[in-house]
Amino acid sequence: MKLKSTKLLLNATLLILVLSIIRLITGASDLTSIGTASAALLLSVPIVLAGVGGLFSERSGVVNIGLEGMMILGAWAGGFIGSKHGPWLGLAAAIFFGAVGALVHAVATITFGVDHVVSGVAINIIAAGLVRYLSTLLYQGGSWPGPSQSPDISSIATNGLPVLSGGTYAGWHSPDILTPLAEKHWFFISDVAAILRGLTGDLSYVTVVAIAVVPLSFFILWKTSFGLRLRSAGEAPIAAESLGVNVYLMKYAGVLISGGLAGLGGGFLAIVAANHYQENQVAGRGYIGLAALLFGNYRPGGILAGAGLFGFADALQLRDSAAIHALILLIVLVLAYLVYRDIRKGKHVSAAISAIMSAAFLWFYLAVDVLPGQLVTMTPYIATLLVMSLASQRLRMPAADGIPYRRGGLR
Amino acid sequence: MSVAVELRHISKRFPGVIANKDVSMKVETGTVHALVGENGAGKSTVMKILYGMQRPDGGEILVNGQAVNFKNPNDAIDASIGMVHQHFMLADNFTVLENIILGAEPKHGITIDFAAARKKVADMSAAYGLDVDPDILVEELGVGQRQRVEILKVLYRGARILIFDEPTAVLVPQEVDDLFNALKGLRAEGMAIIFISHKLDEVLRVADDVTVVRAGSTVAEVKSKDVTARQLAELMVGSELPQPTTHGDTRRPEITLALKDVSIPTKSGSRDLISHISFDLHAGEVIGIAGVEGNGQAELVEAIMGLREYTGQIEFKGENIDHFTVAHRHDAGIGLIPEDRQRQGLMMASPLWENRILGHQRSKPVMRGFVLDKKATIADTRTIMQEFDVRAPGPQTLAAALSGGNQQKFIVGREMSKAPSLLVASHPTRGVDVGAQAAIWEELRRAREKGMAVVLISADLEELIGMSDRLLVMLRGAITAQLDPQKTTPEQLGSAMTGAK
Repeated sequence: MKLKSTKLLLNATLLILVLSIIRLITGASDLTSIGTASAALLLSVPIVLAGVGGLFSERSGVVNIGLEGMMILGAWAGGFIGSKHGPWLGLAAAIFFGAVGALVHAVATITFGVDHVVSGVAINIIAAGLVRYLSTLLYQGGSWPGPSQSPDISSIATNGLPVLSGGTYAGWHSPDILTPLAEKHWFFISDVAAILRGLTGDLSYVTVVAIAVVPLSFFILWKTSFGLRLRSAGEAPIAAESLGVNVYLMKYAGVLISGGLAGLGGGFLAIVAANHYQENQVAGRGYIGLAALLFGNYRPGGILAGAGLFGFADALQLRDSAAIHALILLIVLVLAYLVYRDIRKGKHVSAAISAIMSAAFLWFYLAVDVLPGQLVTMTPYIATLLVMSLASQRLRMPAADGIPYRRGGLR
Repeated sequence: MSVAVELRHISKRFPGVIANKDVSMKVETGTVHALVGENGAGKSTVMKILYGMQRPDGGEILVNGQAVNFKNPNDAIDASIGMVHQHFMLADNFTVLENIILGAEPKHGITIDFAAARKKVADMSAAYGLDVDPDILVEELGVGQRQRVEILKVLYRGARILIFDEPTAVLVPQEVDDLFNALKGLRAEGMAIIFISHKLDEVLRVADDVTVVRAGSTVAEVKSKDVTARQLAELMVGSELPQPTTHGDTRRPEITLALKDVSIPTKSGSRDLISHISFDLHAGEVIGIAGVEGNGQAELVEAIMGLREYTGQIEFKGENIDHFTVAHRHDAGIGLIPEDRQRQGLMMASPLWENRILGHQRSKPVMRGFVLDKKATIADTRTIMQEFDVRAPGPQTLAAALSGGNQQKFIVGREMSKAPSLLVASHPTRGVDVGAQAAIWEELRRAREKGMAVVLISADLEELIGMSDRLLVMLRGAITAQLDPQKTTPEQLGSAMTGAK
C-alpha cells in the first residue's frame, strides 16, 4: 500500500514535468494554469459521482446504463428545488430524485428480472421526456423563465486550503502562497504550484464532499461487511445466498446508492457548475461516468483517474484551443514512450505501429497551426478513447454483472 | 454415541415429479454416514431439505433430539449444519479469506476485522490439516484446494454436522485420498458427516453407516462393514445387477465399416494423433476399442464421423465415404453417441423435442418437405421417451432438467430411432446410474441382433469385455493388440492398454 502511493506520487510528478516541458516548448501557458486545473476539477466531479455510482450498482451485479437518466433527474430536481429552497436542499432533492430513478431500475431488473440494458435505456428516455414535460408545465405556470431553463439558484460558498490557497476560516483570511508562485512562470515549480492552487483553492464545499466519495466508497466496499456482501452479490450471488446474504437487499442497496450518487452528480451540474438547470445539461456525462468506471477497472481510484483525464481535456478545450494543439505533442511523447517500451519487450509489430502513429501525430502537429473547432470540441472524447485503447489493461468486471438473479438459484 | 440428525419420513413433491416419498435416516455423532442411491433417487433433494434450501411437504427433522423447522440455510447454519456443495459456491474474484468470512464477518467497529479472521482460519487449517493460503484469489486455486476452502467455510460457521454432496465427483484420486484423510480427522473431532455418493467403493472406504434410497424412499440402513459393493448396488437398483453380456455370434458376412490405413498427422510433424489404423467391422458385430484416455480414441471417432481431416480410406457398406460431409455420413446411416453428452450431444437450454432434431434435421419425422414438422417431432420425441424409459415430464422439458442417466438414454434413443447401420458409441454408459446402464446395454444388444455394427469406446473394462465381439487396444494412436474378449480378463486388458507385456 505504501509502495503504491509512492508510485502514484512519482507518476503524478512525472506527468506534471512532461506537461511543463511541453508548455515551455509550445508556450501554451493554459496547459498548467490555475484556471485549467480548477476547471478540470469542476468538470471531473459529476463524472466521478456518476462513475462511483456505477461502481456500486455494477459491483452488486446490476448493469446501470440508466446513470444518464438518473443524472438528468438529479439536475432537474436541483434546479427546481434549488431555485425555490436554496442550493443545499436542491442537492438533497437531486440525490432523492436520482434514487427514485434508481428505484424504478431496481424494481424492473431485480424484482421483475427485466434485462438490465433495456431497463436502463428506458430510464434514460423516460427521464429526459419527463423533465421536459415538467419544465414546460412550470414555464406555463409562470414560475420558470423558459421551458428548458430553471430560475437561478443561489451559489454555495467556496473555500480554500488554509495557508496555501487562501480562503476564510472563522473570520481569518488565510494567505495564498501558491498563486504568486504560479505567476512567476518558473519551470516546473510554477506548474506544480498552479495545479495545486487550482485543485485546492476556491473549492465549493460540495466538491470536497464529492471527492471524498472516492476514498469513502473504497472504504465501504472493501473494508466493511456491507461492502463485502454487496460485492458478493455481483460476483457469486448463489454462493452469497447459500451463506445467508440477502442478495436482493444488497442489489437494491447498490442500485439506490448508485442513483443517489448519479443524482448528486446531476445536481452538481445545475447548482455548482452552473447556477441554474438547463435542458441537456447532463449531455452524456452519465455515459462518460460509465466509461470512467471501465477505465478504472471497477475500482474507485481508477474512476478518479479516468474522470480526471476527461475533465482535464474538457477544461483545456473550453479555455484555450492553442493548448489542445500543444496536447498533440503530448500524444507524440506518449507514443514514443510506447515504442521504447515495446522494443524492450521485443514486441516489434506494436512498436512499429506506435512509431508510425507517433510520426503521423508529429507531422500533424507541425503542419497544422490552428485546429478546426469541431476537432477541439471532440478532444475530451478522443483523449478518453486514446488512453483507453492504449492502456492495455486486463478488464475484470464482476463475474455475475448483468445476469438476472432469482432467489432459490441454489436448486 | 448420540444421534446428531434424524430424518423421519420426509416427503417432497415438485411439479410433475415426486422427489422424496418417504426418506428416513439417523446419523450419529462421530461417524461418517453415507447416503447412496441412483441419480434421481432423491439424495440431493433430501439434503437440500436438511440444509433449509427447500421445505419438506411432510415429515420431521430432528437435530440433536430437537425438532427443527428450517426456513432458509441460515436456520440450518444456526443449528450447526454445514453443506459442502458439489458445485463449489465460491466467488473467484474474492480471496480465500473473503470467501470464508462472507456472511459471518468478524467486526472491529464498523470495519471487518481481517486480522482476527485470518488467525481463526489459520488455526482451523492447522487443526484439521486443511492447508490453504488465506490471501490468495480463489481463481488461482485448483479443485482440491477449492474444496478445502468450502470445508473451511462450513467449519468457520461452527458446523458440527457436515453434508458433503458428491464431493469426489470433481477430484483426482490423490485429492480423494486427501479429502478422506480430512474426513477422518473431522470424525475424530466428534463431528457428524453425511456423505452423498453413488460411488460405492468410496462409500465403503470412508463411511461407517450407509443409508440407501431408491425412488425417493429409504430402502435400507446398514453398517458398511456388513455389506459389499455388489449388495449395495443391488439395494440401490432394487433387483439383481445387470451384466454387460451379449449372446451368441450375430455377425453377418457383409462388411459395414472398413478402415484402411487411416492416420491423422499433426501439423507440427510430431507423432500422428492416430496412425495407420485398419480394421473391418461386420454387420451385427461389436468392436471394442480399449485404451487409456487420450491415446487416439476420440480422434478415431472424429475421423469416422468426418469431423477431422485424415489420410487413408474409410468405406461404409462397401462405398468409399472419404469425401462425405458429416451430415452426409449421418444420413447414410452412421449414428453417434458422443463422449460428452452435455457439450456434444445436447442443447442443455432447449426442450427435448428440439434436441430430438439434432442430427436429424433433414429427414422425417422432423421435416415435411422444407418445413419443420413440430407436431410430428413432439410426437416422435414422446415415443422415444417411452421406448427408452427417459424419465421426464414431457417433450417440452429442458434437457438440463434431466439427470445424466436420462440424458444419455435420450441420446441413445435419438440415435437408434433412425435405425443406423453403424453406431459409434463413445463411453455410452459413463457417469450414468446402474438402471440406465442396463437399459443402454439392452438397446445395444437388441440392435446388434438386428444387424447393426457398433464401434464401442469405453473406459469401463468389464463393459468392453462383456459387450464386444472383438477388442482392439489403442496405444499412442496405433492399434497395438487385438484380443478375444472371451479369453481376456480385465487385468490382462488393463496391462495391454498400458503397453506392459
